[in-house]
Amino acid sequence: MNAPGYAPGYAELHCLSNFSFQRGASSAEELFRRAREQGYQALAITDECTLAGIVRAWQAAKAQQLRLIVGSEVRLQDGPKLVLLVQNLTGYQNLCALITRGRRRAGKGDYQLFADDLQQYHEGLLALWIAEDCDDQATGRWLRGLFAERLWLGVHLHRGSDDDRRLSRMRELAAQLGIRAVACGDVHMHVRGRRALQDCITAIRQHCNVAEAGRHLFANGERHLRALEQLAELYPADLLAESLVIAERCQFDLSELRYQYPRELVPEGHTPASWLRALCERGLPLRWPSGPSSKVRAVLDKELALIEELGYESYFLAVHDIVAFARSQHILCQGRGSAANSVVCFVLGITELDPMAHRLLFERFLSRERNEPPDIDVDFEHDRREEVIQYVFRRYGRHRAALTAVVNTYHAAGAVRDVARVLGLPADQVDALAKCCGRWSDRIPDDQRLAEAGFEPGSPSLRRILVLAGELIGFPRHLSQHPGGFVISEQPLDHLVPVENAAMAERTVIQWDKDDLDMVGLLKVDVLALGMLSALRRCFDLLQRHRGRQLTLATIPSEDPATYAMISRAETMGVFQIESRAQMAMLPRLRPTTFYDLVIEVAIVRPGPIQGDMVHPYLRRRLKQEPVTYPSEKLKEVFERTLGVPLFQEQVMELAMVAADYSPGEADQLRRSMAAWKRHGGLEPHRQRLVEGMLRNGYDLAFAERIFEQIKGFGSYGFPESHAASFALLCYASSWLKCHEPAIFTCALVNSWPMGFYSPDQLLQEARRQRIEVRPVDVFHSEWDCTLEPDRHGVLAIRLGLRQIRGFSEVDARRLEQARAQRPWRDVEDLCLRAGLDSRARARLADAGALRALAGDRHQARWQVAAVQAQLPLFAEVQAVPEAPVALPVPTVGEDLVADYDTLGTTLGPHPLRLLRSRLRALGCRSSGELAGVEHGDAIAVAGLVVGRQRPQTASGVTFVTLEDEFGMVNVVVWRDLAERQRRALVGSQLLKVSGRLEQENGVRHLIARRLEDISPLLQGLDVKSRDFH
Amino acid sequence: MLWACILLPQLALDSILRERDDADAPLVLIGGPVQRRLLQAVNPAAAALGLRAGQTLTAARALADGFHCVEADPARIEQLQQLLAAWAYRFSAQVSLQYPRALLLEVGSSLQLFGPWPLFEARLREELAALGLRQRIVLATNPVAARMLANGHDGLALTCADQTRAALARMPIARVGLPAEAAEAFSRMGLHQLGQVLTLPRDALARRFSAQVQLHLDQLLGLRSMGLNFYQPPDRFETRLELNFDVESHQALLFPLRRMLNDLAAFLAGRDCGVQRFCLYLEHVEGPDTQLQVGLLAAERDAAMLFELARGRLEPLRIPAPVRNLRLVADDLPPFVPQHQALFDPRAKQAQPWEQLRERLRARLGDEAVKGLRAEADHRPECAWQPAEQGAQGSLPALPGSRPGWLLPTPQALEATDHILLGHAERIESGWWDGGDVRRDYYCIETRDGLRGWAYQDLAQPGPLWLQGWFA
Repeated sequence: MNAPGYAPGYAELHCLSNFSFQRGASSAEELFRRAREQGYQALAITDECTLAGIVRAWQAAKAQQLRLIVGSEVRLQDGPKLVLLVQNLTGYQNLCALITRGRRRAGKGDYQLFADDLQQYHEGLLALWIAEDCDDQATGRWLRGLFAERLWLGVHLHRGSDDDRRLSRMRELAAQLGIRAVACGDVHMHVRGRRALQDCITAIRQHCNVAEAGRHLFANGERHLRALEQLAELYPADLLAESLVIAERCQFDLSELRYQYPRELVPEGHTPASWLRALCERGLPLRWPSGPSSKVRAVLDKELALIEELGYESYFLAVHDIVAFARSQHILCQGRGSAANSVVCFVLGITELDPMAHRLLFERFLSRERNEPPDIDVDFEHDRREEVIQYVFRRYGRHRAALTAVVNTYHAAGAVRDVARVLGLPADQVDALAKCCGRWSDRIPDDQRLAEAGFEPGSPSLRRILVLAGELIGFPRHLSQHPGGFVISEQPLDHLVPVENAAMAERTVIQWDKDDLDMVGLLKVDVLALGMLSALRRCFDLLQRHRGRQLTLATIPSEDPATYAMISRAETMGVFQIESRAQMAMLPRLRPTTFYDLVIEVAIVRPGPIQGDMVHPYLRRRLKQEPVTYPSEKLKEVFERTLGVPLFQEQVMELAMVAADYSPGEADQLRRSMAAWKRHGGLEPHRQRLVEGMLRNGYDLAFAERIFEQIKGFGSYGFPESHAASFALLCYASSWLKCHEPAIFTCALVNSWPMGFYSPDQLLQEARRQRIEVRPVDVFHSEWDCTLEPDRHGVLAIRLGLRQIRGFSEVDARRLEQARAQRPWRDVEDLCLRAGLDSRARARLADAGALRALAGDRHQARWQVAAVQAQLPLFAEVQAVPEAPVALPVPTVGEDLVADYDTLGTTLGPHPLRLLRSRLRALGCRSSGELAGVEHGDAIAVAGLVVGRQRPQTASGVTFVTLEDEFGMVNVVVWRDLAERQRRALVGSQLLKVSGRLEQENGVRHLIARRLEDISPLLQGLDVKSRDFH
Repeated sequence: MLWACILLPQLALDSILRERDDADAPLVLIGGPVQRRLLQAVNPAAAALGLRAGQTLTAARALADGFHCVEADPARIEQLQQLLAAWAYRFSAQVSLQYPRALLLEVGSSLQLFGPWPLFEARLREELAALGLRQRIVLATNPVAARMLANGHDGLALTCADQTRAALARMPIARVGLPAEAAEAFSRMGLHQLGQVLTLPRDALARRFSAQVQLHLDQLLGLRSMGLNFYQPPDRFETRLELNFDVESHQALLFPLRRMLNDLAAFLAGRDCGVQRFCLYLEHVEGPDTQLQVGLLAAERDAAMLFELARGRLEPLRIPAPVRNLRLVADDLPPFVPQHQALFDPRAKQAQPWEQLRERLRARLGDEAVKGLRAEADHRPECAWQPAEQGAQGSLPALPGSRPGWLLPTPQALEATDHILLGHAERIESGWWDGGDVRRDYYCIETRDGLRGWAYQDLAQPGPLWLQGWFA
């Protein structure tokens, strides 16, 4: 072909990255680095019917200063395989539209394209026809008719058995059609060394072992970015040169994409900026009825100016529009996160917290230096978020709104699992090996870990698995949908990026994730779900209905001493955020008395402050056990509100600004590095700068070093103050409701379930301990939801709803409500027939005891519903022959208890432990009610239902067990060595007896376990679900 | 009639434990889909670790370490059940595998031979224990009752219907084989024992439950009988022909042989199976029988073909002594898959069908000389091309035309001067997963004598060309 050693010019035009899932065996970064090293003049990334990896490819291309050609490989259902290359913006838009068409038509992960689609979307695209043996001239003529001089015949030569014949046949075919042939490599990996990984992912795709994959595997490793000399050996020079001609014609660059926010958000006669200002002016009196202070004015003007300068007005308008919709639908929502730093967000009603009152940092939200779109996350009621999502789809149309994607990548466990499986390891060994990796780790387990699990780390087959799995880690695996991240655009979205179907019906997803969007400058709105908002909205509704009182998040009486007293007693079950065990243990020590104390409480019981060792210094200072000092007068301002202990991200930013001369934007950079250093490192430059800056400003070295260590400990876990404040608001509101309207609060929580830490059973037991009457499910009174029934004095009792009956559907319940509204039930048959209940639904009602008023006990009820037969029209008039009554056994208390848990998940009868109390006493167990009289350090035994088991990451192997008895909860601490020794009792018990030592301090009570005993057999068939290890 | 039920509660586990010498080590049997592996059974040592059947494997691993996992194998259990049925068949002509993990035997008629029952029962237990199988045995007056009583009893022997009824009445409602929803409904009505249900009025039950429930109750009480499928011992063909006179020549054996093979062919046709292998015994006046094994590459049942084959094997045989009788035994009787033939058979008159030619070649040249070829989907030539007992049907799709049809057993190094290379290299790089990775460039070569061969250069270890086969 060519003289040896001759290196021609070449551009690779057919190359897959690992975004062609389970096909491409190299990342775009690896491909571009290799292509540049080999002296390629350009590289096309042509993933199969997807542009999901193109933004990353674009970044890699920029980093390597090698030109990216955007393209895609597609196989038509009724035609040939083609590589389409983007020539210009029109071509890009057509490719996006074509991919969208193909993806939307097929199920998730698949596509279907036909010749007709190409007919419509070919302009601006160049086509390489990858002809196969079965393709004929007719196909070629059709393609030539479509693409004319934009069509080439792509020739792959991979040192197969008949390359010579193939080449001459291709040249002949090209000549016959009057088109030119071009060399291309069908590249699947950057170097030959990825051959084994490529075989592996092929086998993963084919769901078989590598050894069985046979002809699905490539015969050799030639499908990599080959050295130019080698290409020159294989291909005639004109075929190689042609690649440069094509590359030259592809001048499109992703930076040409122009994104616009929807225009309809702005009324006639307004610009986005003027309209945003107008909306803010409208909102000001709502937030400050007596008029804004000059300071508010100034901050608002500053923010609006920055928003205008950066061009983000439409983004705020879009979020405002969504929030306004939710308000109009009576859906509770609140902005979370850094948006709470913004006065604009506050006056637009996106956030509920006055940033002026809480000295929040606008730079945390939006900064000039960062040059990055703001990120507004809004929480909605969890069971009504879908309405908001569908509103967005409706308002902008499916072609202009879509969810963003999440790229799921391989973690160590998944990579090991997939590789081990295709290398034929038996299933249980695959599990065992994957288990060695831990859950989210991105590192291959070390030899010691493997040896502990019984593997021989040195064995060649294991090494093979680990090396290949190591290469696979970080590879994208598939696309899934972001839970609520929306992209909205003025132009149809498929001009910007392909759109595909999500796994959930009625949803569409773009092919880019959050980082991709940032790179290309698209803005996203996060529509998130929060269970507590549902519960609060239900509380407000119930308040309105039963108390005639209209409250909102903003109008709940603030700084209520009774509420804070309740919180300080740690009676916070069901309350937002501060209901977890760790939070409850902190409350009696912290004793919050103001809203800001709650902000701190929310932020302090977090892995960040715990690992940064900020909790104890703060507590000591608060309890006046140690003096509050500040390193300087300037820093006093920053740290005064947290008694000199840095707790919030904002404080770290301020510290950097005040003590080490950072600009606000730079300080935000520091925050981002803080969040990411564990994964990516990159904190070292800041260390130097911080320490030097602080020394320059007169702080001593020890202090600077300590601050830096604290920042590191903060890691990604530190809360921004704005976020903590938003959460504290919900926390206060729910506490106030629990304190003053416990029946309403419990009813709303149970109806909003699943949410929070506690089960309906625990919440209802707690309510009964507070002397709230709970009434049983009853077909004469119960609705789907739990309801409240007032007595003559206005005292509310909770009536259990039909939703509590396991396996009873809402549709049946609604039908039952309607039929009952017409007239009350005559008998069981009347109920079953008029409410249209099938035999399953009837049995559920009978078993749950809901038919008591109609049929007596649940045994009789079940007997009676079993006899109800569908009435045939012919016999409608004929009276059924009356049956003689049958004597059935009456349920015992124990049977009722078991049946209650079985069917309702809770009981209104005696607590199971009350039935067992005398036997427990005989075993030497005390009840939780008796613990108040026990001295600190006494050895005691208690028994209870295991309602929680937690092993927090931060607690170094300690397991926290929560036991419940008829009087309340007992917190048990199980140290690691005991947990190891008595693992079976710890993990396997439903009813657990714990002997140990009671610790009491500041009203916090823990039982330090010394011995565990599984006494579950006492319970027989009780069904108490326990939360497992997290 | 009296029915014994032998329940093998741990059949799957026992089938594994009896083959292990570390039966006391913790062992669990697992099954279910890969995403959700469940423990199906645990041995006592594993139970002592807190493991229970029904746990997920993940949960079990959280609970304990150091237990063995063995995959449950339904095929193996099925095989064992067949074996047990054959074993039980020795004791009763009516053996049923109606229920999984249980044998039902009609023993009323066998008591004369093996009885009385306590003795009989002891013998059954002894033999099962020797097989390494734990068992529960119940005797009752009908098979359904025997099976259900075994859920709650072991060693119960009820010889009249009233006793059976009384024992049944005390059984928990969930353990008597009722449909699950009916059993649940009864217990939800507070009826926990079968006896409580039996006192209810028939029509009240009929109104509430499906006919299936009433039928099952009747069968339990022996009021209606259940159509059991009885075990049939497997097919085997054996026939013996007395020749009446002593025969010394092959020729004289051929006629009776043809007759026997005709019988065999008829037998095979009746059962819709073929024969893979049969044995002809020549019984002599004195001395041991002469055995003649006839094996086929594929199951056949055509009488003429079987005869041709047998004759091919018989003729070279030296007959050591006069033959008095002939015996033919065929055990290996797999299903027969007929060859399709076109309506107008295109074969020339004298041509033999391939199967017949193949068998004749084997008969003449010996089994070793006739081999099949199979193609494996593997890029490595020596793996793709495999000699095999049974050849692939049709052509070998995975072999490209550019390779020789027959490869050398091991590649041979070629002298550098003896040949020229033709065309470009074909590169093959594959097989890393089993440690047999090859990286080679293959060439067609021509020797000075004009012979054409296929040879490769080892890319991993440069050296001479290696010849792997000749083109025909």
